[in-house]
Amino acid sequence: MEKKSGETPGGPGRPGSIDETVRETVREKAWYKRLGSGVWRFFNSLKLTISVLLTTAVVSIAGTVIPQGQPVESYAVDYGERWARFILSARLNDTYHSPWFTSLIVILGINITVCTIERFPPKWKTLLNEKTSFNPAIIDRLSTREAFELPHPSGVKNTLERVFKKNRYRIKSNELPEGGATVYAWKGLIGRFGSDMTHLSLILILTGTIIGSYRGFRDFLPILVDSTVDVPNADFSVRLDRFWIDYYDTGQIKQYNSILTVVDGGRDVLKKQIWVNEPLYYKGFRFYQSSYGVAWDRIKDAELALKRLDKNEIDESFNVGWGERKEIPGTAYSVRLIGYVSDFAFDRNTKTVFSKSGEATNPAVRLEVYEGPSLIYTPWIFLNYPGAVQAIPGAKDNIVLAGFRTIPYSGIAVNKDPGTNVVWAGCILMGAGFFLAFFVYHRRIWASVEPVAGGTLVRLGGMINKNPLGFEREFKDIVEAVRRESGGQTPKGSMEEKR
Amino acid sequence: MTEAKLIMSLMFFTMATAFYLLTALCYMLYWFVKREWVGRAATAFAYIATLSVTMVLVSRAGESGHAPFSNLYESMVLFIWAMTIGYLAMEKRYKTKELGAFVMTIAFLAIVAASLLPYRFKSVEPLNPALQSKWKWMVHLLTPLGVQKYALGWLDFHVFTTFVGYAAFAISFGLSLMFLLREGFELRGIKNLLIDRLPDSRTLDELSYRAIAWGFPFLTVGIVSGAVWANYAWGTYWGWDPKETWSLITWFIYAAYLHARVTRGWRGRRTAYISAIGFLAVIFLYWGVSFILPGLHAYA
Ligand code: HEM
Repeated sequence: MEKKSGETPGGPGRPGSIDETVRETVREKAWYKRLGSGVWRFFNSLKLTISVLLTTAVVSIAGTVIPQGQPVESYAVDYGERWARFILSARLNDTYHSPWFTSLIVILGINITVCTIERFPPKWKTLLNEKTSFNPAIIDRLSTREAFELPHPSGVKNTLERVFKKNRYRIKSNELPEGGATVYAWKGLIGRFGSDMTHLSLILILTGTIIGSYRGFRDFLPILVDSTVDVPNADFSVRLDRFWIDYYDTGQIKQYNSILTVVDGGRDVLKKQIWVNEPLYYKGFRFYQSSYGVAWDRIKDAELALKRLDKNEIDESFNVGWGERKEIPGTAYSVRLIGYVSDFAFDRNTKTVFSKSGEATNPAVRLEVYEGPSLIYTPWIFLNYPGAVQAIPGAKDNIVLAGFRTIPYSGIAVNKDPGTNVVWAGCILMGAGFFLAFFVYHRRIWASVEPVAGGTLVRLGGMINKNPLGFEREFKDIVEAVRRESGGQTPKGSMEEKR
Repeated sequence: MTEAKLIMSLMFFTMATAFYLLTALCYMLYWFVKREWVGRAATAFAYIATLSVTMVLVSRAGESGHAPFSNLYESMVLFIWAMTIGYLAMEKRYKTKELGAFVMTIAFLAIVAASLLPYRFKSVEPLNPALQSKWKWMVHLLTPLGVQKYALGWLDFHVFTTFVGYAAFAISFGLSLMFLLREGFELRGIKNLLIDRLPDSRTLDELSYRAIAWGFPFLTVGIVSGAVWANYAWGTYWGWDPKETWSLITWFIYAAYLHARVTRGWRGRRTAYISAIGFLAVIFLYWGVSFILPGLHAYA
């Protein structure tokens, strides 16, 4: 923070002349003001900017070295008890969403805002109302300057104006009362506002990310082929019509593709093939190809067969679709396919069946077995253990699972982020700001033509806000052109330069 | 893909290596003897070397059927290409041939390093699903000509701009080192023929800043185009992946550099140190993240 002064911002009071109560309120106000302006001064500091930028840079490293968002136990395994406690309490397992990291970004945001409020208006005023008539003496105070004498006065002012114009400068000329003239020339003024545009763009981007974090959401939808799911937080649904993988000739995977249909108000309103890098966009929601797999809790159909226990042989198999009821050929029984898990497991506490994994390690199907019209049993039967379960109670024969057809699903990431467009707007503004800040320089040249004994003295002095090396050459060229075109001779004073 | 199909790019690569060696030697010689014709020869060789690396990139694109920015080897070649072009532009504008001795030596070492990379970083692979992001308008434009497979996309734009940024930062870093060297001699009043032939310390300082003034916008465009692409591919423009985070770290360091310079009026030594720190971050961003930290970015 700049240490400008230690004075109280309220200004000097005159304690003797006012009564107690008034003095009390004055002091109170001063206290608030003091705090307020102290905070203001804290944020109106460019040292703060540099320190916060560097601090944020350094502490961000933590999040790239420590694995983020892992299960809590894994930190104890990787770093030991003590360090794990530190990492978790400092939220280093979720660095970029931790309160202290957010605070740093917020400080940057306030810092930019305060600095802009403080600096922009005066800058705007001085730059736009710059004095265009001036005393030629100021030229001698510039570090880039040159002077030469001409034997005749005629037309130097016009020459100056012409040369400046040719170099695309804008000019303002003045006649001097005692004869002679001054010409003020400038260009690239707008470059001065590049930094302000950049800062404004940063505020926009920040705003966009804040909007996104409050109003946006992300979810993952594994959609089975031919099924329709409701999109969370939305009033429409999507259906997966097809999923397939493209391969290169070498066998490497080239692309994952899904054909999605948006169903809104009961009608198909939009159909699109999506792949990685090509999302579907509808009503502010985006649907991305994110992964794929086969369903772990559903199948297309199952291949069943009757096992004749007396002859120890298996009948020809038959096919049952999901939810379908089929008669077992040559018997009074029929079956319905009602359940599937890819990796059978049984929870003793809740007495429920679940799948241990998405892999088809221990696939099992559940059937409803009917004798005539009446349901007699609902067994699980296993692909890996044919005949282990007596599927038809009390019968001589059993049902075995001979095979099944899986249903592929396409992993669709759905995302809504209303802040994204604000962020993009900020990025575009930043591009413009950078262009102005880095490639448009504010150049100013002050020139004077004054009658002196035996001729005319021409003086030029220039200033640029950055890139002085380039400017020195341009300045030299301009001076050269003026001298040549006005018929000047060898220079009287030559280019001087202060470092 | 087999080596046999890469014959053209390998040939150009060998040629480029040879010409970088020649160029570096010529610039060295120029620095030592300061003869006009040596300097001109050095620049001429530099142009030939640039042409050769350009041809490496072009032939590589022809062989692989996509823009040549898809593995570490290709990215190194791109880096060398951008650095040389940047240097030649600077030489043309500011007449600073003595600096060529340093820049071209670095370029030569870089190209040798690229040739020493293990094969798995060099081979031409078809693009995996996430890397296929061609611009549709360009595909439409090229389809009538039958060359739509060469259409570019966000990946190419992202890598290209990022690497131009890296190259500018590398030049700035070199200039900062030279500044520190030269200023050291100036401050202690030591005369040294070779050091005195370098541009004066103020020029070195200014040029180092100029390089950053180019590198910073390019890095920014690189980061932003990466965000645009990520928004297509992963559904979010920012994911705090190590590469992303390190690019932000680097960006902040150079932003601090600019503010120190523009708002606090820092010049010379102190800004040279920030530039050096910034380049260390760039190196980590380029190599460190790829080899040390796990993440979604395949190589660069
Ligand atoms: C966080 C608080 C920040 C404050 C208070 C701040 C303040 C300033 C000020 C006062 C200037 C000089 C204005 C002028 O001379 O016209 C400046 C220049 C600039 N700032 Fe910032 N800045 C901040 C953050 C950033 C960040 C994060 C960036 C990132 C890109 C940035 C980019 C720039 C650029 C590009 C310039 C122009 C530099 C040049 O002309 O070379 N600023 N800033």
